[in-house]
Amino acid sequence: MHFAHRRFLRPIFALGLASSVMNLFAAELPRDSDYDYDPPAPGSYSLPVVKSAPDGALLDSEGKSLNLRDLTHGRVTVLSFIYTRCAAPKACPYATGVLNQIHHLSVDDTTLAKSMRLISISFDPEYDTPQRLAAYSENVREQGSGCEWRFVTSKSRAELEPILAACDQAVDKRQNPADPQGPLYHILRVFLIDREGRIRNIYSSGTLDPRLVVADVKTLLLEESRVSKQ
Amino acid sequence: MKTPTNCQLHTVKISLAVVIGALILTLNARVSRADETCSSPYLARIDGQEEFVYVWTLGVEGMGDGADKLVTVDVKPGSPGYGKVISSSSVDGRNEAHHGGFADDRRQLWLAGLESSRVFIFDVHSDPAKPKLTKTIDNFAETTGGAVGPHGAYALPGRVLIPCLSNAKDKGGKTALVEYSNDGNYITTHWLPTKEDAHGASGAEFADGYGYDARVLPRKNALLTSSFTGWNNYTMDFGKLTADPEAMKHFGSTMVMWDFHARQPKKVFQVPGAPLEIRWAWGDKHNYAFTATALTSKLWLVYQDDRGEWQAKEVAPIGEAKGGVLPVDISISADDKTLFVDSFGDGKCRVFDVSDPQKPKQIYEKQIGKQVNMVSQSWDGKRLYFTSSLLARWDKQGADNEQFLRGYAWDGKELKQAFDLDFTALKLGRPHHMLFGSTKIGANRTTVASK
Repeated sequence: MHFAHRRFLRPIFALGLASSVMNLFAAELPRDSDYDYDPPAPGSYSLPVVKSAPDGALLDSEGKSLNLRDLTHGRVTVLSFIYTRCAAPKACPYATGVLNQIHHLSVDDTTLAKSMRLISISFDPEYDTPQRLAAYSENVREQGSGCEWRFVTSKSRAELEPILAACDQAVDKRQNPADPQGPLYHILRVFLIDREGRIRNIYSSGTLDPRLVVADVKTLLLEESRVSKQ
Repeated sequence: MKTPTNCQLHTVKISLAVVIGALILTLNARVSRADETCSSPYLARIDGQEEFVYVWTLGVEGMGDGADKLVTVDVKPGSPGYGKVISSSSVDGRNEAHHGGFADDRRQLWLAGLESSRVFIFDVHSDPAKPKLTKTIDNFAETTGGAVGPHGAYALPGRVLIPCLSNAKDKGGKTALVEYSNDGNYITTHWLPTKEDAHGASGAEFADGYGYDARVLPRKNALLTSSFTGWNNYTMDFGKLTADPEAMKHFGSTMVMWDFHARQPKKVFQVPGAPLEIRWAWGDKHNYAFTATALTSKLWLVYQDDRGEWQAKEVAPIGEAKGGVLPVDISISADDKTLFVDSFGDGKCRVFDVSDPQKPKQIYEKQIGKQVNMVSQSWDGKRLYFTSSLLARWDKQGADNEQFLRGYAWDGKELKQAFDLDFTALKLGRPHHMLFGSTKIGANRTTVASK
């Protein structure tokens, strides 16, 4: 079996439930066979602007209206498109697992805690109501510490469509709605967005290495500090 | 040591669900083996067998409409249209149609023109049987800061990597890698390392700045590039070029290993004779790639040694030891055991056993035509497709100028022809790069990379 999310699964297989809990969230994210390299040092490379992040109307997990723009400015943002019924192992469960790892790192990193934001946006608003997202977030988010992590949905697919189109996030219904991977087919998309709302990186299968995402976040923060000194 | 939180325990529950899903996917994966073995690992893959072969075709003056075109051929098993052209979409004029590639979600096919530096973006999602031109990038040199000769398009997450062959300043071989977002907006340009500006790479003394192919091994964060020649040479008549000693000096003799994520060159390898196509092995622990050198007719291996250092070495001759067969495209099987090598000079496909990548052995050869260039192989290794054209001014003349798409079946021992399309008789032009299409697109290749 070759699944790049083995980092997420291996402890379950190898060490049993209790020890897996410890290993899943080790402060140091280890190099492994799926990401068999040392990530570049933060600030040793640049992240050119891809394009501006879109705006659009959303609902938070309490049912309150908000605009995507409000979530893509002011902090360095890692934005993941998901749907909670997804069971494709290399897609939403993996992406949420990576955000969880990053969130956990931010618990002990005050810079990440105050400068980074995580967003999980559902593209399945008919099913992923604010109530369901609230329950989902309870399952995956550590409460009360670490960086901000928002779970949002929308009133309707029509209202969400411009955001999906602007983010090049394709979503199709599977022919078999009872497909074990979930009723929707989609490509994995996770975005890195700077404080000015500009997309600076796009991750998918094969590149959503939490070590790279953290290096990228820190690269943007270092870029800000260099600019402010000039 | 930290104690587990509620969050962590809940995540374990999610993980168990994921395990079950993973097992289901593994079972599914056993019956879903299709697609090309040379495509980007970031590309959404075809579920089942390919249904269409898209052929990026050079226009020929006085033949049909004379324009470059995307030709779609039906290859669905049992289809009444099997092996026949089912659609053709022309672009503006002749651009030296060369290579192309899909965006990562496989909704767009990007096709490049080497001479005009225009890039044509087709929608292959709305109707995969009838691709439609939706956008043309016609300011490539101005936008990219002087890169010209876009060679193809390689899917990266949310963006497309375009390795180039030349530059606007002197139209020689110094060139760049260019990135565009999937919606066709320019992002950035990375110039290949030169002796004068190696960007910190080791082996700077070899650096020539030339480019050709660019391909990624994700789990090693490795981007590998190869090198060919510039606009001045690839637009020159082939006979005139080979008779010009000065022009023949201007071919690439390097490959470069990059830190893919940082887009920084790390090591320049001396690989004489224009190393062209790069094919990374797919196996979980196969840290190597093959290339073939056009001018010296050799197979080269770029591999990670026991110390984790990347190395390049010549591993086999292609054809007679004296060379001269002009190897062009290569295709590795999904199990990493077999390498198909096309040679333009003698029109043959040679098949190598590369089970031991350090010691390739030729096991078979087949005369495909009087000239042959590209080869595309299905993921299950059972079907191969060949086309004939290399470059408009380098193709053979007279009766040797066969222009075809030929489909073959491979049984592990020999190639048997399944269909033959004469692109001259059909008044289509010179067929070049092939890409597979389907109405059934699944997950990213990285999900089921190797087994």
